[in-house]
Amino acid sequence: MTADNVLLTTAVGSFGKPEYLQKARNANARGKVSPTELRDLERKATAEWIKAQEEIGLDILVDGEMYRGDMVAFFADLLDGYSEGGLVRSYGNRYYHKPVISGVLKRPKPMTVEWFQYAQSLTQKPVKGMLTGPYTMLDWSYNEAYATRRDAALALAEVVRQEAEDLDQAGARYIQIDEPAIHARPEELEIAIEAMGIVTQNLKAKTISHICYGDFAAIYPGILKLPVDQLDLAMANYEYRWLDLMDRDPFTKEMAIGIVDVHTHELESIAEAAEGIRKGLRYVSADRLLPHPDCGLKTRPVDESIAKCRIVVEAAKVVRAELANRAVPA
Amino acid sequence: MKTTVIGAFPKISDQPGGQELRQALHKQDRGELPQAELDTTYDRVTAGAIRELEAAGIDVINDGQIRWDDLLAPFASAWTGVHRGPLERFYDNNTYFRQPTIEGPISSDGTTLVGAFTSAKAIASHELKAAVAGPITFATLAIDKHYGSLEERVLAIADAIAAEVRGLGTAGATLVDVEDPGLVYAPQHIELAREAYRRIAAAGVPLAIQAYFFPADRILEAFASFPVAQVGIDVRSRETTALRRIDVFKEKTVVLGIVDARNTRLETASELGKLVDDALRLVPDDRLWLAPTTGLEYLPHDVATKKLTALAEAARGGVPA
Repeated sequence: MTADNVLLTTAVGSFGKPEYLQKARNANARGKVSPTELRDLERKATAEWIKAQEEIGLDILVDGEMYRGDMVAFFADLLDGYSEGGLVRSYGNRYYHKPVISGVLKRPKPMTVEWFQYAQSLTQKPVKGMLTGPYTMLDWSYNEAYATRRDAALALAEVVRQEAEDLDQAGARYIQIDEPAIHARPEELEIAIEAMGIVTQNLKAKTISHICYGDFAAIYPGILKLPVDQLDLAMANYEYRWLDLMDRDPFTKEMAIGIVDVHTHELESIAEAAEGIRKGLRYVSADRLLPHPDCGLKTRPVDESIAKCRIVVEAAKVVRAELANRAVPA
Repeated sequence: MKTTVIGAFPKISDQPGGQELRQALHKQDRGELPQAELDTTYDRVTAGAIRELEAAGIDVINDGQIRWDDLLAPFASAWTGVHRGPLERFYDNNTYFRQPTIEGPISSDGTTLVGAFTSAKAIASHELKAAVAGPITFATLAIDKHYGSLEERVLAIADAIAAEVRGLGTAGATLVDVEDPGLVYAPQHIELAREAYRRIAAAGVPLAIQAYFFPADRILEAFASFPVAQVGIDVRSRETTALRRIDVFKEKTVVLGIVDARNTRLETASELGKLVDDALRLVPDDRLWLAPTTGLEYLPHDVATKKLTALAEAARGGVPA
């Protein structure tokens, strides 16, 4: 282990959309901007974010999801068996179209592979393939078609598996299958684990699942059975209290650790964020700990997204230097 | 047998002109809308919700809680000793709330909801009830940097809620929903809750416990001896034995959640009819009210409206208006 390959920094998935893209999306919804024009702008914004991540110094990149709105509705729009639901509130003044599972689920064609290939073509650094997990797809949809939640989760697992395997074949070294709803009903954790097993069973890529905003204690240590290599956890927003659970039941996977809160305009200090990394190091070795923001940054403006990521990178540098100094023999 | 609603009604709709409040709040965020104009928008949207609830034939309505950012927000914003903190998921929903953060002794002047209730009462033609957040929900979802124990926290919050209920009573409320999903999420606190509800009931206004999202199976009998006039339970959205046991309520009105407010699939008349028939075998119709399982804001506006219609028809024995 050298100081170069420890505390690799990454991002969770989404970034703030630049104003020109937000305007184009709104205009597209009103029929004023064509799908081709919108796609060109989405590609432009993706390229900008890849460049920005390289400049910031992140190690494992994301495409920034410039072409997505909501993380469930994006996939629902592209799958057979889903219909668009009406607007419901997420929090404050934020709304989303909550999709409806209204028929048998099928994936007519790959949904994210071209975006992954495009983003990866822009950088030598690895770009993660990004999917929403089957349990979260279920939990954040209305289910009118399947008799039980398990039936619907397993049907979703099949279509997510197809997409994950296509990303794998397209060369993704990391595939992230997000399950932020996994603690919504702790009694259904086994369903989520069974569904994830279907998704990851044949993958060569390193697999990751992002979990945030909920009662992590209610699913720990059971969540360690989730068949992925890395759990990607919001920690800063929780003042790192989930780490205490690991005193009793040691953490057994790689951990991507959230060290800046994504739902506040305020910027953490580098010292504060570095302290978050040090807390994580008590439970996970540096080669298995990956600092990042707590969650996707899509609710933050571009400049704030960049500033938050910069703090992550600078904090990792501080702690890497400490580790390197410690490693030097007296 | 009356119909009623619980909690919040959708604030916006997909219909043309249905996003007035959303647009107004965006404008206010950008500093382009004075507070007085936002208040006018809130009043207009609230009036719209009341009209819709009445037009659907709901007997006992609320004001749709259009001003409530989340269940705890009005209180966390108004009470001393507490403020709105970080974002957190609201139980098993893809809906988020700001965690109340308690920094000092909590107190309330009891007027938090009086203005909104008085305005709604002036325009409602059906019976209007009020609502407050429940003490167990507030206490278990808060970040506590002041009180030493859950008990101290719950009882301080109960006293503040009691002040709100007293204020609402003075403003003319004759029934107040106490929305307390925390009670059924964490039923181990039931005896602490009993003391909290005793304090709230001392305010002298009839109360309805609304315990939603989770089955009430473990604490149904305990509810029967709570100092409240009504108990609301969800018998629709999750497996529960409650519907077979509601004869534990000998005097209280049972508010039966029969229309799933968290899934878009519309219940058929026969599904609802069976639930009502089963309930009527155990509780007389003058002590049975029918309701959605929780607030209709978890549904898109158009589906919420259809659910209200289904509810009203179920109360009429499946006969369309």
